[in-house]
Amino acid sequence: MTRRIALIALFVAIVAIAAGYAAAFSRSGTPTWAPWLLAVGIPVALGAIMILGAVRGAGGIGRLKIPFAFVILILAIGFGAALALPASEGPLSRLWLGLPARAAVVIYGVGLLPIIALPVAYAMTFETLTLSAEDVERIRESGRRYAASDRDPMSVKENTLSE
Amino acid sequence: MEARAVSALLQVALPNAAEPAVITVGMLYFAVIIGISIWAARRTRTANDFFVAGKGIGLIALTVASVSVSVSGFAFIGGPGFIYAAGLGAMYIVLPAAVTNVMGAWVLAKRMRLLAEARGLITIPDAIGARYRSRGAQGLSAIAILVGIIGYMATNALAMGVVINSIFGVGLGWGIWIGMGVTLAYSASGGILAGIYNDVFQGTLMAAASVLVFLFVLNFGGGLGEISRTILVHDPTFLGPWGRLTPLAALSFFFVFSMGSLGQPQAVHKYYMLRDPLQLKWYPLLKTLGLVLVLLLYFGVGVGVKAFVLSGRLAPLTSPDQATPTLLLNVTPIVLAALVFSGVAAATMSAANSFVNIGAAIVTHDLPVAFGRRVTNELRWGRLATVLIAVAAAITAQQSGTMVAFLGIFGWGLFASTLVPALAVGLNWQGATRAGAMASIATGLLVTLALETASYWKVFKFPAGVTASAVAMVASFLVFFIVSWVTRDSAGATIDPDIQLVMDI
Repeated sequence: MTRRIALIALFVAIVAIAAGYAAAFSRSGTPTWAPWLLAVGIPVALGAIMILGAVRGAGGIGRLKIPFAFVILILAIGFGAALALPASEGPLSRLWLGLPARAAVVIYGVGLLPIIALPVAYAMTFETLTLSAEDVERIRESGRRYAASDRDPMSVKENTLSE
Repeated sequence: MEARAVSALLQVALPNAAEPAVITVGMLYFAVIIGISIWAARRTRTANDFFVAGKGIGLIALTVASVSVSVSGFAFIGGPGFIYAAGLGAMYIVLPAAVTNVMGAWVLAKRMRLLAEARGLITIPDAIGARYRSRGAQGLSAIAILVGIIGYMATNALAMGVVINSIFGVGLGWGIWIGMGVTLAYSASGGILAGIYNDVFQGTLMAAASVLVFLFVLNFGGGLGEISRTILVHDPTFLGPWGRLTPLAALSFFFVFSMGSLGQPQAVHKYYMLRDPLQLKWYPLLKTLGLVLVLLLYFGVGVGVKAFVLSGRLAPLTSPDQATPTLLLNVTPIVLAALVFSGVAAATMSAANSFVNIGAAIVTHDLPVAFGRRVTNELRWGRLATVLIAVAAAITAQQSGTMVAFLGIFGWGLFASTLVPALAVGLNWQGATRAGAMASIATGLLVTLALETASYWKVFKFPAGVTASAVAMVASFLVFFIVSWVTRDSAGATIDPDIQLVMDI
């Protein structure tokens, strides 16, 4: 079910991004809603393909749903804030860690916060949700069985591949 | 990223930096490269060693090498220049680095490394061929990658010539032959093993240079806050969230450079090489941190030079791509300048090595397999193909700079549009079909070539924010989904049990 939802989300996000690009070809110029399609479509597409990669078999993604949701939201909120907030940059702007507010949202929010969440979540759940020593051994055993079955598709002489 | 790197290096006309300190650091750099290459050549005995380093690279070495090939010279020359010209909008090219490495780990790294474990695969088209049980898909993806590599190699050869001429003052023609000659020497003798350990050296050099320049810029400018204040007084748009780009253009960069990262063969190919699949645990975190270090210069120089020019501490630039050279040759200590120039040379050589190796694997392995043949001595033919590709690239690079730049422009987009759906989605979705994969690869190849050619010859102009790369990638995705859905009855028949297990885990 998780895999199916991720696939549908990925497809819908790509369609939204395509619509955003198509709108840019309008004779009256790019409509103001076109960037919003990318602002929402990109986080959903990236989140969906990560979930697709993280799902194991028919199972779900377990605790990973929290960092995935966090990053999808961070990206969407960051892009949305940059689009929605009025331009206020000027000599008297308050600086956030050295940057005006909207720039700080993008640089620190979109560019740095995911670094804290995703790679750490990946490492912390690696053995339980991504790959264990038992998994590797199963793959090796499967490879041995495949080699023994004499069905190496890269072996041209055996000609086991068909189009 | 690579296209902009090349474009920048071709247009920047780097100043002559041939001072004793720069030449000395440059000579030391080449000496280390030669030493590593001799060491690697002695350890390269089989095609497996030559193309995937015998699947024996450790975590740290693989991470640093992967960082090195990911950024290219763009991070040092083109990128800061792009920020100088376009403001913070230029950051949307590098912001995806926060998610791309871990995304690659979840989507591709585990499955490709396990494919290598189960089947002993050595190339990306190998993985596509195994996934869809199709020589046709393997051959088509090989052709797509080869087309992209032709452009990349020529442009990297020219970029090397520009940088080496700047360091040693030997002339562009000799610069091309020296750069390509050194790269060829270690690529042909030590294969990817020499490439990996040279990348480790080069990546370390790039990270050190980047951090030192970033700290120098902050110190020279009185901190990021002071730099921002200077810019906000004169040019507040520069520090807006999109800089001078339109929102669509900035977001489009983010899309192409995030999703497209899953199709870059120079990075994806490295997943095969990790000694132990379980070491993948720390790979995304380490690579992301490494990339952040290397990209500090990109941000620091771009923003810093803008402030220094606005405040009159630096003269106005003749072109945006002069941002890094102007800062290095007028403000920073000369040794730091020497490090960065060597870092740029390192970046172009690193990229060239990766591509020539992947190209040689396609010529000697994937294309023969696709046509139902297999060469008897892949190591020997791999070395020969390496020489031929490198020489062809060097000769092409001597031609018109405009034509060479054109060849390099579509590389990133071509890889993204041809490989991401078929490989990244295909390895994670059992409903993907052979027909869907082949239609998607063909769509990416044709749309990219058609749109880039039409755009180059000014047959039409894209609206602001729309690029051929983005359109081709979206089209490729949609074709992949639609054709796979239409041919869904054949989906299950194309997956072997061991591949099924790799996809399930």
